[in-house]
Amino acid sequence: MSGAVKRFRVMAVIAGVMSLLLWFVDLPVAYLFNNEDWKSKVAWIPFVHGWVYAVYLLAALQFSVKARWELRRVIWLALAGTLPIASFIAERKIVKTYS
Amino acid sequence: MKTRVIIKKFLQALGVIAITLVFVGLGNWQLDRAGIVKELNAAAKVIDPKVYSLSQLATPTVALDSRNVNKQVSLSGFYISNFKAPLQSDRDGVVSDWEVALLQVDGSGPLSGILVVRGLWADRLLNMDIAMSTRIELVGTMQPHQNDDRAENVPGVISRLDSSVIVGQANLQLYDGFIVAQSEVTASGELIRTRVVAEVPVSRVAGYYWQHISYVAIWWLMAAIVLYLPFYRRRITS
Repeated sequence: MSGAVKRFRVMAVIAGVMSLLLWFVDLPVAYLFNNEDWKSKVAWIPFVHGWVYAVYLLAALQFSVKARWELRRVIWLALAGTLPIASFIAERKIVKTYS
Repeated sequence: MKTRVIIKKFLQALGVIAITLVFVGLGNWQLDRAGIVKELNAAAKVIDPKVYSLSQLATPTVALDSRNVNKQVSLSGFYISNFKAPLQSDRDGVVSDWEVALLQVDGSGPLSGILVVRGLWADRLLNMDIAMSTRIELVGTMQPHQNDDRAENVPGVISRLDSSVIVGQANLQLYDGFIVAQSEVTASGELIRTRVVAEVPVSRVAGYYWQHISYVAIWWLMAAIVLYLPFYRRRITS
């Protein structure tokens, strides 16, 4: 169980950072500013976020299975990786309960 | 009571299958987008020395296949109208106004037309002898239509290089995309003027190849998770 919690914590923090970068750096640059140079500099963000979220999803699922969470909580945990801050909140709650 | 349980299980199975199919479909959609991005990027880099006829690369009123972008095309016809295309950027990033003509394609039936970038707007008076009855043979490169307006659509001006903005101005079936002329020849010889080189086409699909592939992985992973969920719930209740 502690291994699954650790894996989830690491992925929750990385996914949270990537979500913040995606929402507050990549999306404004892509849709609010018409600057090709900036766009090419932040092009790695959605790419990395996509793969990080896939791994986050696996870590969240593994944790949920081990913790035997109810389905609704599993879905919320999966969605938390897509919203900024939400994965940090999930990580804090899980640390409080399972550490 | 037993029937009710069976119906409930059956509906749950249907729900799981439906959601799984939706996720698989979303993954396939992202896979298509990744393919389009890859093809268009490859087309922008590859230099194909072959010169194709227009009918080999495109069909009137049908979207231009992204694999045919940047290919050289040879065709003949008659210029039936001229437009100014303001604020166009060439391959070196130089912004200028371009002269664009609607070419009625020779021998096409039903009558069809395609937009041709002839050169700089400033050079439009160099070939005053060109009339609507002058047959032009041209070689150029196929380009995808533009999506972003650079000006307002007013008579004689097109906001972007896209045949959809001139639909209704001529009784022709229009080709998607446009041609950037490299050479124009009439019965009296080649027309000499400065030619423009179009900027590298930007994919109409937002994002990058590996970004779309990551979304494919996520959607298919979601589908696998949904398939697993009925077993997961059973484990909780046992």
